Amino acid sequence: MTRNRPRIGLYTLAIIASVISFLPIIWLILTSIKTTAGIYAWPPQYLPAPVTFQNYIDIFTKSPELLLYVLNSLIVGLGTTIVSLSLGGMAGYALSRLGMRRAGVLMVFILAVSMFPPVSLLPSLFQTFLNLGLLNTYTGLIIAHTGLFLPFSVWMLASYFATLPKEIEEAARMDGMGFFRIFWSIVIPLSWPGFVATGLIVFIHSWNEFPLALVLMTQNAMRTAPVGISLYPGEYAFPWETISTATVIAIVPILVITAIFQKQIVGGLTAGTGK
Amino acid sequence: MTEVKLERIGKSYGAVEAVQEFDLTIEDGEFLVLLGPSGCGKSTTLRMIAGLESITTGDLTISGTRMNDVDPKDRGVAMVFQNYALYPHKTVFDNMAMALKLQKVPVEEIRDRVGRTAEMLGLTEYLERKPAALSGGQRQRVAIGRAIVRTPKVFLFDEPLSNLDAKLRVKMRMELQELHDSLGVTSIYVTHDQIEAMTLADRIVIMNGGVVAQVGSPREVYDSPADEFVAGFIGSPSMNFIDLRRGAGGGWSSTEGGLRFESLPFSLGDRSEIRLGIRPEHVVITPHAETGANGGSFEAEVRLAELLGADALLNLDIEGCRLTARVGGTGHSRAGDRVQATLPTPLLHAFDIPTGKALPRLVS
Repeated sequence: MTRNRPRIGLYTLAIIASVISFLPIIWLILTSIKTTAGIYAWPPQYLPAPVTFQNYIDIFTKSPELLLYVLNSLIVGLGTTIVSLSLGGMAGYALSRLGMRRAGVLMVFILAVSMFPPVSLLPSLFQTFLNLGLLNTYTGLIIAHTGLFLPFSVWMLASYFATLPKEIEEAARMDGMGFFRIFWSIVIPLSWPGFVATGLIVFIHSWNEFPLALVLMTQNAMRTAPVGISLYPGEYAFPWETISTATVIAIVPILVITAIFQKQIVGGLTAGTGK
Repeated sequence: MTEVKLERIGKSYGAVEAVQEFDLTIEDGEFLVLLGPSGCGKSTTLRMIAGLESITTGDLTISGTRMNDVDPKDRGVAMVFQNYALYPHKTVFDNMAMALKLQKVPVEEIRDRVGRTAEMLGLTEYLERKPAALSGGQRQRVAIGRAIVRTPKVFLFDEPLSNLDAKLRVKMRMELQELHDSLGVTSIYVTHDQIEAMTLADRIVIMNGGVVAQVGSPREVYDSPADEFVAGFIGSPSMNFIDLRRGAGGGWSSTEGGLRFESLPFSLGDRSEIRLGIRPEHVVITPHAETGANGGSFEAEVRLAELLGADALLNLDIEGCRLTARVGGTGHSRAGDRVQATLPTPLLHAFDIPTGKALPRLVS
């Protein structure tokens, strides 16, 4: 029986951690199905009474721009993911496998770049994008987001590639493949869990990114979901029901994707830690 | 006519010299085995021949062409890796056909060549499977097939059998031997397993610390090891080594006591100490009959008797000098028995102590 005691402690910790991280989301979902009166009721209403889906109906009829925000987020997120994976994959492969000199130093440099707080980059980024006409374009925000998340992609993919048996690539060289061919037809097919995990994490981060999206997308029609939703509060009113409903809608895609690919995410993150 | 020539080949990683001055010519159709403990440079040498590792110094020529800077695919060599290195996401057929596809060989010919090779290796029914659906032995056969399909001038094997279990290893070893007999392609085979080396090789190259210790036929390296390292490395259990000191009267006796020789048939010069070697299988054990040291015969006590099955190993104590003897597995002596151990002079080896070099035998 004594062997079970650490288990119980472990589960307790895990449950506490899950509750702490999920409570805001649960509260958010509960808020989105309360009436306005229920939201402002005192003492606070823990469970919605009555349950209403009016907020969802309202948001699609009264503020249809939410769908546009979600679509913008989707386009930027996918674009960032694709560019980050392509560049990060090639860079990661070169750094981890092609025997480059000083590859370790380069990797540290790449990591160091990602240590700048994004906000500190904003003024110069804004000016540059303004001059280049990249403000309020998908391309602009995709470039900015790629800049933020590429170091992570390079590191993550490089460490995934490092777990592949080297002999397979050597056999491919003996068979007559060049480096690019090996990367394309051997390394990528064998590393897809790493690509899936990296891609998902990049996508989620791009989806949630706030400061750059706020500053580089100034037109309402180009706003991403988190920015658009955050701008719902008016000068005098704070429409909690709209905000919570919109947020639920905005996190649904992420939740669904994470649920589907959670095995790959965990597998990709822990690759190489054991046989 | 495929002759692989290594001229003073060397490989260094910074200050570390992994292989030094490797000089060897591998004849057409020869089966050459590079043997040595791990880290001795044998795999590095093979990888330099394959083109997977650059050559720091020296020249590599295959059929007279200098290959130092030639791409691996253009060297006419094919390699079989220890962990098979098959493409896990491709079928057996695609694994075997890859090199031909990249050479733009016509599809019909690819199908024909892969088909014939698969038949030779008994893989025909597995051609559509992925490597994960094969056993270890079948995977290694695919890896060998992939090398054969290319009809290379030289086969390179990097410990191809060490991932297989003992039984399968013996079977595959025989298959490799038959394959080499029927194809007759020059082969270079790296292993740390001396049985593989002895059974497969036309010639064995024994390496130690990046240097070639001896090159010779299996018979030669077993019968006349060039130095103490080779003597100890080849043979299992390994050779007994006994330090001898020259006595005042000119005879030799072991420093730990027990052994005494009036004379030894080696050109010993003016050395006062040498190391004597005798293989466990060459120590002759007879029931205790006569006493005292007599022309290489000594009275011994059996300290330990280990039955291996067909054979048994006896750990002998000759007045403080310990020796291992290999005897038949039936009716052998037991621990505590007193026996007569004979060390036949023609089967003795002698080594210089500081250098480890074998001392030449006197021609009688």
